[in-house]
Amino acid sequence: MLSHNEAPRRLYPLAAVVGQASLKKALLIAAVNPLSGGVLARGEKGAAKSTLARGLAELLPPIKLAAGCAYGCEPDKPQFWCPRCQALGESNSWLARPRPFLTLPLNATEDRVAGGLDFEIALSQGSRRESPGLLVQAHRGILYVDEVNLLDDHIVDLLLDAAGSGQNSLEREGLSVKRPARFLLIGTMNPEEGELRPQFLDRFGLSVLVESEKDLDLRVNLIRLREEFEADPEAFRDRFRPESEKLKSQILKAIQILPLVETPERVRKFIAELALAKHVAGHRADLFLFEAARSLTALAGRRIVSEAEVLEAAPLVLAHRQRESAPPPPPPPPPPPPENSEDDQEKSEENDPPEPPDQNQPDSAPEETPPKPEEAEPPEEDNDPSEREDEEGLDPDQNAQPPEPDLSDLSEKIFEIGQTFRVRRLEVAKDRLRRRGSGRRSRSRVNQKQGRYVKSGPNDGQGDIALDATIRVAAPYQKTRTRPEGLAVALRASDIRSRIREKKMGHHLFFVVDASGSMGARGRMAAAKGAIMSLLLDAYQKRDQVALLSFRRSEATINLPLTSSAHLAGRLLAEMPIGGRTPLAKALVATSQEVRNVLAKNPLARPIVIFITDGRANVGLNGDQSQPLKEAWSLARILAQERRVKSLVVDTEEKSLLTFDLAIRLAEALEADYFKINDLRAQTLLDIIKKEG
Amino acid sequence: MRQQIPIYPFAAIVGQERMKLALTLNIINPALSGVLIRGEKGTAKSTAVRALAHILPEIEVFVPDPFRLDPRTEGEMWPELQKALGVMNPPEPLIQKSKIKVVELPVGATEDRLVGSLDLEKALKTGQKRVEPGLLAAAHRGVLYVDEVNLLDDHLVDVLLDSAAMGVSVIEREGVSFSHPARFTLVGTMNPEEGELRPQLLDRFGLCVNIAGVLDLESRVAVLARRSSFEDNPESFEKEWANESAKLSQAIQQAQKILPQVKVSQELLYHIATICLEVGVDGHRGDIIIHKAAKTLAAYEGRLAVTKGDIAAAAELALPHRIRRQPLQAIADNLDQVKTRVKAL
Repeated sequence: MLSHNEAPRRLYPLAAVVGQASLKKALLIAAVNPLSGGVLARGEKGAAKSTLARGLAELLPPIKLAAGCAYGCEPDKPQFWCPRCQALGESNSWLARPRPFLTLPLNATEDRVAGGLDFEIALSQGSRRESPGLLVQAHRGILYVDEVNLLDDHIVDLLLDAAGSGQNSLEREGLSVKRPARFLLIGTMNPEEGELRPQFLDRFGLSVLVESEKDLDLRVNLIRLREEFEADPEAFRDRFRPESEKLKSQILKAIQILPLVETPERVRKFIAELALAKHVAGHRADLFLFEAARSLTALAGRRIVSEAEVLEAAPLVLAHRQRESAPPPPPPPPPPPPENSEDDQEKSEENDPPEPPDQNQPDSAPEETPPKPEEAEPPEEDNDPSEREDEEGLDPDQNAQPPEPDLSDLSEKIFEIGQTFRVRRLEVAKDRLRRRGSGRRSRSRVNQKQGRYVKSGPNDGQGDIALDATIRVAAPYQKTRTRPEGLAVALRASDIRSRIREKKMGHHLFFVVDASGSMGARGRMAAAKGAIMSLLLDAYQKRDQVALLSFRRSEATINLPLTSSAHLAGRLLAEMPIGGRTPLAKALVATSQEVRNVLAKNPLARPIVIFITDGRANVGLNGDQSQPLKEAWSLARILAQERRVKSLVVDTEEKSLLTFDLAIRLAEALEADYFKINDLRAQTLLDIIKKEG
Repeated sequence: MRQQIPIYPFAAIVGQERMKLALTLNIINPALSGVLIRGEKGTAKSTAVRALAHILPEIEVFVPDPFRLDPRTEGEMWPELQKALGVMNPPEPLIQKSKIKVVELPVGATEDRLVGSLDLEKALKTGQKRVEPGLLAAAHRGVLYVDEVNLLDDHLVDVLLDSAAMGVSVIEREGVSFSHPARFTLVGTMNPEEGELRPQLLDRFGLCVNIAGVLDLESRVAVLARRSSFEDNPESFEKEWANESAKLSQAIQQAQKILPQVKVSQELLYHIATICLEVGVDGHRGDIIIHKAAKTLAAYEGRLAVTKGDIAAAAELALPHRIRRQPLQAIADNLDQVKTRVKAL
């Protein structure tokens, strides 16, 4: 059986990599003691992550494998032997072989990862034999995933399953087998392309943040070495052979010492205390830290673990598990009612710094977080819920309309983009509808013959046949069927299996930005631009399409029609001037026209409209100024009737003695989720990875 | 079929010197790992890439061999890969010279087509798992060209990343498990108005050029004149330019010959590293690519020693897309940054 699935070639030796001490250390720790968990190399592109990971394979001492066994059976564990090794028993011949090093490509299909029926054997011999997947083939070896953050969720699930149980269970195509699958997982990723799922991240015992070397001499040395390697790889490898051999024997010795390494009670306590002090989530960290420290001790040729090894291993084990030390500010308390505002003001100052967000529910649904509009309603104003039903009894435009801080149409300002942050998940739940599109925001089944073929299922009549799966289904019945001339397989309609493809769906995001004069007050626009920028960054990572609309003076403008270029949106945002009155109604009309266009073209689309505004309005559709707010709200209610559109209102009004909460009213009319800018911040702790150190 | 479609000669393209240089350097030295051409529509991006066909040098290949292995260094893989194709006892292969191929990856291609898949016919007729090689196999040691590369589907980009990083395409699909070498010069063209590339893919392109339409009147007239005489009679136009084309291919071959002897002084290596540190690039690929591009440039001009000028020119090609940017900051602005910084040093 193949123990490598990559074409052979001359690799750049690990010993010749300049710098990157942490990653080298992490790889050695894992090589000596697989119980210290896998290694995740995160970091900027072109910093030798992959080179190092691959370089590890040839430094590992060989293991005993049975000749012709595809399951990596261990000589001293007969209870786990595969049927073949069991049948051979004593007569099995064990050979020293290089450890398996298997690459899991991003486009692998389920049958090759978890295994499936071997149709060749089924067709030629009529017997059901499994064809082991990568997870099983990598048993006792290394499973390597480049760009691990881009791996399909579906394949990640399979990986997590195997990593958790140490075995791979195959239940399909009439097969039902469990095989040991304990492997060292090594992954590399560039965080610019998105983060790992928290459960997946937690599986990696060690993580290293890789950065390029900043030292001039090292950089020059690196160029030289690279040049030499490419000119003559073989000679280059020869030159570094002594150092490679040294590393090899260091690893081998450490593996031999490891079972003898002891950890005194005092050091065990130290580990637990350290994990506690660093606020890591779960117990896995303690365990990984313990094993990593043992590994380091063995690498140093010693037998007793001391605090020094624990401290040395700590950054590798804890960096990606540590909780945020300074949690982001929680959503501000509901605006105080005007009458007793002074008391409330004091109270909110007492609460400063505010209590950290609930750590047990980092992923609470967006709907739960914003203050309930009803609660936030200032009771004094004439907009209590009963009256709201009957708009006639209320003239919001006269009572609730705040004074414009800056009414001069002439003054025009461009504000800098404020601070950006990581935004929380905004998404539409996965549904069973098949649709067209591309992007990475939500997972969706797609029915184009595009998207990644992840697995197969019963025939869906779409004509996207999974031939391999179809043959696997048909194979066992070939004995009893007459084969058509010239064909090796007789297929029945019931054998047909279809491909199931998965594709992350991007959404259509419409940013509707209030650029009126009122946004100029007290850094409102800078903060709003920061928030929009953050959402744009998020949109970029999820491959959303974005459109940018703004409204000011007497017009709503489409600054950018729907495009996948978040870059362009970012530039236009930076240049967006503000000033003038607030034609909210026109913005709503323009938005609903744009949204309808999208829906007409693509009826299955689920556009998300994000209003960034303080909710004020003082110019109506006809330019008149009689009841602009009322007009806007009734337009908003019309937009809300389009169920395929999801709206969000991001309120830019800051907390002050006098708040008008007009954005809340707008959100109600739109049936939109309501956020203050701070509510948009990502609050899950595990998905924000702290920089090492 | 390709030969029947007349190809506009590379040498006859008016202006766009940087783009032509970047492409030529990549042909001389495939280790530069490709070029990204960013620009508006109608700026001869695609014409230039397709025109490469005229000036590409020849390489040695096995016959038959859909994987285009290098007989010198990858010969031992040939029998193995023939087996994957279902040829059990292959005869001794012939070695022939063949022009480097330009393989085009259409934006709408399926993953199967790109990486290869289970051979349908073999599976049904003989019940055997055999491989049908994809575009990545055909592009080995050649040019993989993606028009509108920024519109490429995400999952195809992932495949490109995988194989571009490793120089190997690993296939674990549809019951098929095998791998083959896939080192190619990745050439992409894009119109930045339709969205940027993912950072990881961006980094895989060794060089990057931003191009705009030719602006001066005289050149525009020349564009028109050449284009129309090409359309009128492609053959005679090609003949007219045959001399220029031959000169260019000769220069490329000459450069390839002396490239291994080109030296960079220690002092200039420091110069490269300083530029990269000063300008602020992610990773080390910037340093390595500048070094290679400068050497290739010197070889192209027939010199054995790299000069500061070579390095400045190489930096302008290798860095614009590698400068650490503000989130969502566009690439086009970066070129001036490179120029001024390099000048200042």
